Amino acid sequence: MNVILAIAKTTLGEAIRRRVLLVILLVGVLFVAIAPALEALSPRQELTVLRSLTLGVIQLTSAVIAVVLTVYLIPNEIERRTIYTILSKPVRRWQFMIGKYLGAVGALGLMMALMTGIMLLVFVVMGKSKDVSDLAMLAKVPIAFFIQMSLLAAVSVFFSTFASPIVNFFLSGGVYLVGTMFDSFFNVLTKETQPLIVKIPATIVHVIIPNFQSFNVQNSVINPTQVIQNETMLYVGLSVYAVTYISILMILGIIVFEYREV
Amino acid sequence: MSLAIETKDLVKSYKSKSGTINVVDKLNLQVEPGEIFGFLGPNGAGKTTTIKILLGVIYQTSGDAYVLGKEAGDIEIHKQISYLPEKPYYYEHMTGFEIMQFYASLFGIHDKDKCKSLLDRVNLGNDMNRPISQYSKGMQQRVGLAQSLLNDPQLLFLDEPTGGLDPIAHIEIRDLILQFRDEGKTVFISSHELSDVERICDRVAIINKGEVVAQGRLEELLVGGRIEITANNCTDATASSLRDDDTLVSMNHGRVIVDIPDSHSPNEVVKTIQGAGGEIVSVIPRRKRLEDLFLEAVTVDNRAKGRTIGTMTGKDDGTEADEVTA
Amino acid sequence: MRQRFSKLWALAAGLAIVQAVVHAAWVFPLWQKNFAPKQGSYEGLTSDQMLFAFAGFRELIAGILWVRADTFFDEGNFDAILPIIYLVTRLDPHQIDVYDTGMWHIAYNFTDEGSRSDRRYVPSAVALGIEGANNNPSTYELFYGTGWLYFHKIEDDYAEAVKWFEQAMTKNDVVTARRNILNNAYQRNGQVDKAVEYMFKVLEDSEAAVKADKEYAARQNRDTIENNLDNLLVRMAQRGEFARASGHYDGWDYDTKPPFDVGFSARVTVVEPKVIQVEGTWNVLPVGTRVRIVLRDSDYPDALPAELTWNQGTAIKLDPPKGLTFMQDQLFVKNQRFSREIDMSRDPNMYPFTKQKYLVEFYYNPRQAPAYIQDKFGWNGEGMTDKNFLNTQIRPGARVVYTTMELTREQLLRTGEWKEKVPIQQTKNFAGFGSKQLDDNVIKVPGILSEPGH
Repeated sequence: MNVILAIAKTTLGEAIRRRVLLVILLVGVLFVAIAPALEALSPRQELTVLRSLTLGVIQLTSAVIAVVLTVYLIPNEIERRTIYTILSKPVRRWQFMIGKYLGAVGALGLMMALMTGIMLLVFVVMGKSKDVSDLAMLAKVPIAFFIQMSLLAAVSVFFSTFASPIVNFFLSGGVYLVGTMFDSFFNVLTKETQPLIVKIPATIVHVIIPNFQSFNVQNSVINPTQVIQNETMLYVGLSVYAVTYISILMILGIIVFEYREV
Repeated sequence: MSLAIETKDLVKSYKSKSGTINVVDKLNLQVEPGEIFGFLGPNGAGKTTTIKILLGVIYQTSGDAYVLGKEAGDIEIHKQISYLPEKPYYYEHMTGFEIMQFYASLFGIHDKDKCKSLLDRVNLGNDMNRPISQYSKGMQQRVGLAQSLLNDPQLLFLDEPTGGLDPIAHIEIRDLILQFRDEGKTVFISSHELSDVERICDRVAIINKGEVVAQGRLEELLVGGRIEITANNCTDATASSLRDDDTLVSMNHGRVIVDIPDSHSPNEVVKTIQGAGGEIVSVIPRRKRLEDLFLEAVTVDNRAKGRTIGTMTGKDDGTEADEVTA
Repeated sequence: MRQRFSKLWALAAGLAIVQAVVHAAWVFPLWQKNFAPKQGSYEGLTSDQMLFAFAGFRELIAGILWVRADTFFDEGNFDAILPIIYLVTRLDPHQIDVYDTGMWHIAYNFTDEGSRSDRRYVPSAVALGIEGANNNPSTYELFYGTGWLYFHKIEDDYAEAVKWFEQAMTKNDVVTARRNILNNAYQRNGQVDKAVEYMFKVLEDSEAAVKADKEYAARQNRDTIENNLDNLLVRMAQRGEFARASGHYDGWDYDTKPPFDVGFSARVTVVEPKVIQVEGTWNVLPVGTRVRIVLRDSDYPDALPAELTWNQGTAIKLDPPKGLTFMQDQLFVKNQRFSREIDMSRDPNMYPFTKQKYLVEFYYNPRQAPAYIQDKFGWNGEGMTDKNFLNTQIRPGARVVYTTMELTREQLLRTGEWKEKVPIQQTKNFAGFGSKQLDDNVIKVPGILSEPGH
């Protein structure tokens, strides 16, 4: 465990100094900060658009950071040959991989916390929140995003055990898009009228792909018209789902990585 | 005591478009405990690949590899060995001291004093709180050495430890390696910097195309020096009469240089030249150098296998190709 | 040292089943129930818009599109607005303004050269209203808006207007000033008792509001409601509503007795291809009568007498039905007659005339009449009759005037045998205007102005 933590800590320290990530983060923070200026786009819906926009920026920025951060996680170690100094120590490959992953997730969490903090600040300073519970409601959404991005990071760590960073970037991005959109198509693809040859693969894909859509809980905050039931159960469920799925990806990644010649 | 390193018919092959390439081909090595062992060969000979197999970072295609009596890759032996890769880059945001602490924690060592004293030992005590990004190449290499000593290893793998360093740094590193031997450590150096190796190694193995072409104690391998005799006012006829299988003769405007093995007596050559009216300028005995041995071994091996020097050969990892200049 | 990973493989497989179950039985149903966007269909978006929408900027994209639509409104480029309305409401089904504006836009803004709106669009406006109301059940606005479509644009099917207004009034955010509309809708639907009952309740609420808040606005509100209620009660008395309820109607005199014969007659002349002249008589002296005329394909789908089935489900069509003709207009009565030229030749898209047979409908419903005429005719036409064309079937509960004529395509287009001949269709009782003057700039009231020539 110490070994994993040591690797995670080093990875985190390095990640939060990566210039490309900081630039992406800066863009995200800037967008969140200037979001109130864009509310003119939708008179009478200012609050809706402001919430939607800031949460959207946080989500998009986090997704880009999650992928950019993780696609280079292992390839960089190999290129710099630091992996040899580590693996020639009493460190098992799975410890190395999990340490790298946890470090990346930690860095992601820090960056997302920063953006969330800025968002809350914007809402307070611009007087867009009624009270603390209003802010709390808003702050809960990035938690779901964080679980979502941890899953995304696991996807791209898994791919990084066999794919080059560029290929991985598109693979992970593709999985994220499909995992986000699939529900929209799923209902159409599994209609009564569809032939089995469409229905069966659609169902299989639906079961297999990581379902990112279910983490998009912002709608209930953007349009708080209905009473949300079982919110805690959803968050617990999302965590269980994410942890299970991340475990699968880590196991598969470890198997590939163990066989891999680095 | 068992051998520190032993390989038996070790083979590592990669598949490529043109067929299977054996980067390591039936390699047999024996490294005694407590010696400095030089692992020599031209670029692409399979040195790094062999080390990676011994570390368990990659897997052999066939054959056996044992390190400290256990099968290579056994995580237990990693506690007793260490590895300094060729031109490593460390996490640049960290200071030398942080790097040491990080690597120490991988062994479960949380001894700050030990980290500090090792940095002192490689003469980085004053710079240990500067980030690695500000270190020179030599300093980085010394950090690498320091971290490789964290676990007080019995066996050190050093891959091109002096590569790319200036002469002063060379000497510093060389002195450190000699100290390791005094401490009873086994040091396995892979290098093509022959002058360094020659000064410190007890034994060497020369490999070419994945195969050992020479292996043994340096004193034994380097027996058979040569004697160089230079004379003026010689004729072509004299020069021709001196030539035989072991004797190299070069002639230029009446000046002749004769190169004979030290098993021959120079007296006969001197007599022959003087008898023909030549004038001896110098008789210089020359010890055999590792460079000669290396060239000889590689050239003989290439000739025997019908290879021509200067062809394109695969790199260590079998991916790209480099011009072989040796 | 290579290892076998059969245990790891097995573990991964086991976890794969766990994740599928967790998702299918736990996460997804919860999410779908409480967190899924109501609509969220992405069809019709360009790929970059779609990417942004997926990336979580649906509301922003919707806002940007709607601002774009505003410029089209300024330019009068109405055709370009429809798809935007459609997209915006698909992206962000909570854009109440877009639904509201969209309904109004679809129902009112597509007109021919003579400012007659294209009624073929109205079902789409209704569908948009229903969808908007369903997606935004917590605000009164779209319920009100949909009711308003029936009340003001369709001017028929008042039961639908009542239904929507009733729902609107249950919402917490309904504006007090808008509550009177349900009173009017009840009256037009013939539910006068309901209107009274409702107004008393509204009055009660406004009294309570005055108590809670002594501001001028609250008192003014209360006074207006009181006024409206007084008016309603006076009219009910005048029109014999109370007498009818207590069984005295036949015995006493009321303004609505005896039923007044409106003496409807009409003639349609195809004066030029696709141009008709409509003339007729209407024996009511006061100005303010509008007789509905419809000219449509005789087999127009979902057509009802003098109207369409306005609620045709949830399909919002960006284009009106191609190849179908449905013209609806109003004939204003002045000096006890009407005369109007209807030119359908300049809008081939709206009036394609592709069918062979056409139906001309004349329709008058006293429920739409202004109060001073209703004082004579009653809410349901009990004070109105017509010797030839009284109809009590097509609008249950109401006595209306209704008749039809037929025209063929050749007649309307003046082709074939009608190239030279002028087609004229008229009711049997049409006898021209007789002594009635043709100058509509002067409204003649017998006994007030002297007859011309004196």
